[in-house]
Amino acid sequence: MLLWQPGVAAALQRRDSDAGNTLPRSKYLSPVAMQLSPDGRWLYIACEDSDQVLAVDARTQQVTRRLRVGQMPRGIALSPDGNTLYVSNENSDDVTEIDAQTFQTRQTVPVGWGPVGLTTDRSGKILYVANTLGDDISVVNLQTGRELKRLQAGHYPEYVALSRDGSRVYVANLLARIASADEPPVSELTIIDTKSETVAARVNVPGVIQMRHIAELPASAGGYLLIPFMRPKNLNPLVQIQQGWYLTHGMAVIRPAANAADGPGKYHVAEVLLDDIDRYYADGFGVAVTPNGRWALVTASGANVVSVINTAKLRRLLLSQPPARQQELANRLDAASHFVAERLPVGRNPTDIVTSSDGRFAYIADRMDDTVSVVDMETMQVASTIDLGGPKEISRQRSGERLFFDASHCYQGQMACATCHPHEGLSDGLAWSLETPQLGRDVVENRTLFSIDGTSPFKWNGKNPNLQTQDGPRTAMYIFRSQGFSSTEVNDLVTYLLALRLPRNPHLAANGQLTDAQARGREIFFRDKTMDGKLIPPLDRCYTCHSPLTHYTSRVSMDVGTATPDDTIQAFDVPQLEGVATRPPYLHNGEALELEDIWTKFNPDDKHGITSDLNKAQLNDLIEFLKIL
Amino acid sequence: MRHLFWIVGLLIVTAGVAGAQNPSYYIRWVNYTRANGFPPGEVYCVTVDGNRVWAGTGHGLVLLEDGRVKKIFTTKDGLPGMAVMSVAVDKQTGAVWIGTFGGLSRYSGGQFTSYTNLSSGLANDLVYGVAMQGRYVWVATTAGVNRLDPYTGTWEIFNESNAPFEEPWAYGISVGAEKVYFAVWGGGVLSYDLANHYWKPYTDPDGEMELVLYRNQGLIHNIVSSVSWNPDTKTFWASTYFGLSSYDGRNWHNYLKKDSGLPSNFINAVQSRGDEVWACTQKGLSELNTKTNTWVTYRPDAKSGRGDILVSRADGSKHQMDSATTLAHNYILNLDFQGDDIWVATANGLSHGMRQTAKQSLPTQRDKPAPNGDREK
Repeated sequence: MLLWQPGVAAALQRRDSDAGNTLPRSKYLSPVAMQLSPDGRWLYIACEDSDQVLAVDARTQQVTRRLRVGQMPRGIALSPDGNTLYVSNENSDDVTEIDAQTFQTRQTVPVGWGPVGLTTDRSGKILYVANTLGDDISVVNLQTGRELKRLQAGHYPEYVALSRDGSRVYVANLLARIASADEPPVSELTIIDTKSETVAARVNVPGVIQMRHIAELPASAGGYLLIPFMRPKNLNPLVQIQQGWYLTHGMAVIRPAANAADGPGKYHVAEVLLDDIDRYYADGFGVAVTPNGRWALVTASGANVVSVINTAKLRRLLLSQPPARQQELANRLDAASHFVAERLPVGRNPTDIVTSSDGRFAYIADRMDDTVSVVDMETMQVASTIDLGGPKEISRQRSGERLFFDASHCYQGQMACATCHPHEGLSDGLAWSLETPQLGRDVVENRTLFSIDGTSPFKWNGKNPNLQTQDGPRTAMYIFRSQGFSSTEVNDLVTYLLALRLPRNPHLAANGQLTDAQARGREIFFRDKTMDGKLIPPLDRCYTCHSPLTHYTSRVSMDVGTATPDDTIQAFDVPQLEGVATRPPYLHNGEALELEDIWTKFNPDDKHGITSDLNKAQLNDLIEFLKIL
Repeated sequence: MRHLFWIVGLLIVTAGVAGAQNPSYYIRWVNYTRANGFPPGEVYCVTVDGNRVWAGTGHGLVLLEDGRVKKIFTTKDGLPGMAVMSVAVDKQTGAVWIGTFGGLSRYSGGQFTSYTNLSSGLANDLVYGVAMQGRYVWVATTAGVNRLDPYTGTWEIFNESNAPFEEPWAYGISVGAEKVYFAVWGGGVLSYDLANHYWKPYTDPDGEMELVLYRNQGLIHNIVSSVSWNPDTKTFWASTYFGLSSYDGRNWHNYLKKDSGLPSNFINAVQSRGDEVWACTQKGLSELNTKTNTWVTYRPDAKSGRGDILVSRADGSKHQMDSATTLAHNYILNLDFQGDDIWVATANGLSHGMRQTAKQSLPTQRDKPAPNGDREK
């Protein structure tokens, strides 16, 4: 098959490494995850872009050690005795175990796909690792260094936390459950019982996505779980932006069940907004509490701010509301003023946050500045900034990356690019009613930003010839509702976007060898005859519109019979198929929840390729092939 | 000292004789029917998981905990279909996999996640059997068999196009350490060798004939309703609508009503462990002890409402007893074990049978040789 050769397969095996990438790898550090040693002396920092872990002396605020780990380290955990560090490497699907005293690697443990958040259990013998791409949690025996099993989580599990009593591991899932596009999103907090090492509860957190870090208040402060989120209003036609019409940012406040084995019904979920009515604190990321539970701190990674929350006031507010009003509270933009004590400006794109064991200091990773802001909790001010030693010259790509995470260009700071494209370019999996002159029509699915270089034109109707148009006037007019980016900023942003690469596809073997099912599926994708030997017209062949030579899109608009009465056009820009398995739902409006649906439900007339002659096994094979792209 | 020796010896012999004369039987039954909140009608499957019992009915999935109905799940809760045909528990993850007539479902952490033929790689929505093999989920459907890998989301399909399925209608699954066995309605038994990825069929050497021309030469009939692999005896047992078969890798053994303790050749399911083989027939529940070749059949007596227990021994003798409580119905669909207890799926509810020890199992009313022929309920 000329269109598929081993070299093509290998080239499609995207690895974020210098060897395979044509664009220069970022030399910046980009601190994203931190742990503080039990004695408060050492601050350990995972730097996702430099593939390093740093050890910072908290007294001198100097970097004393650097260790190279796997590819794209994004999570870090400490053993209960403080002697061992565990670092998850998202792009190499493994965890590096480090001796905290010698700062040497002890072993590398393979885990699932795209690991990020991780924690040990109380004994330090078991490690739980959230695998973002696998939608599961690896349970690892640290004594043998082997994975015991994987537990199914929600959709895109990212961060985890061990409960204070050690009985549970909480898993926050970044994306909502895949569901019909006309329903509000529902995210899941997955609860693992550490005694049985099974999933005990899947708690619904309604109306939100992008749950990230988790902090648990001490029992004296109510014992609540605090989880930042974003609340999208994707079901509204986006005709205005003020008063949180597009989206808002807040925090789930969850009272855990009394027992680890209890089901989801025993968890009480409340939600509050952290935004003010005239100012938004975009993209809540990290959360930490002081040891006495008096304060909770939440980083707004799009607003470069840490919100300091008086937990007693928060608790009073929640308890004072009858149940009906509590639901309303989840959308009240005047609620934050009751419990937010301070908004502290910190560095760019603050991500993780940790507090010292005496509650005196909070440390915030300023990802886009390669620094750590140190907040003095007595004065409630940023006392110092730790320079981690990243390059001082800011490249165009880095400048663009900073803009990507920065909500300041949006009206009242309501959103950044990263708000709807979290995790550096992922699709949020939602359908939005954007920029339409006819209310409620042309609801379109969000699209990936990974590996879009060479896939122009853009926009669902293919009308934007390049990213400059997409991110310049269009974004200013319809998204940010402001003057938007300057032309220099747009070009920097585009430079960054073109550098985004798909993560390694775990469905394809490292050596490029296809399984039998994948090989059969490849034959079907590239076929030109039906199963009974009839010639398939060229326009009805998969590879015509999804050419492998141009990222599996021929960069045209096609009518594949999927337009609905709510659409003002019939033909849609052909999306690229690379990474398709990782971004449900599908079709222009997201109504195909799974790949199968595209052909079983939405191709009755064979307008989306000839597929009616395929039996179930053949359709499964086709999907197995698509999963490796 | 000598006297002590003889006394002890006499006591041992007496106990052995008493044990032999008074074996234990299931004479205490608790039934779950419409009368006590259980869904009406047939129970298609029952699966025990510690102190939990999952029962599949035509009106949803029932969860019992510590002997009480805790919850009845229906399509309103997220089940893809109301008729629940099979349940398997993943001991590693705690997830419960449920086969229904509307698709496959996974119940975990209080949530159902469902898979249908249109929205997943499931071969067909009519799911008869589901079983765990390590992390893999095997699914028996009317259009062949699936193996799902939850780690990768890959659905393999096995049917007549890539395996020796004479019929694609897979009814049941039993997982062994080296092979997985499938009951195929009209297609006999199939085994899949896990290491070598090799399928092997076992079919009736008499072909489609209902007579058994060659006894013990092969599977007794191709309409196989269920299969059970016994790791203790390294034997698989196959229930058919025309008798019962066993195969130990070398020898076949077939059982018919006319010359065994089976009350009927129409067998809905078979389960085997240790020396026990349980046949769930349309006319009662039969236990075969393969060591002593003794059959014990349990069923309700339609006239008295009490339990009828018929013991058939290897020497041809029969012995009939009755019990105050009995199964909910004589049409038995399936069974599972909970220690020494059994949970039995019947056409009219779920029955929990408790084995009684020797002294209590003495007959309460009658103790006489059974008459020839069957008695109808």
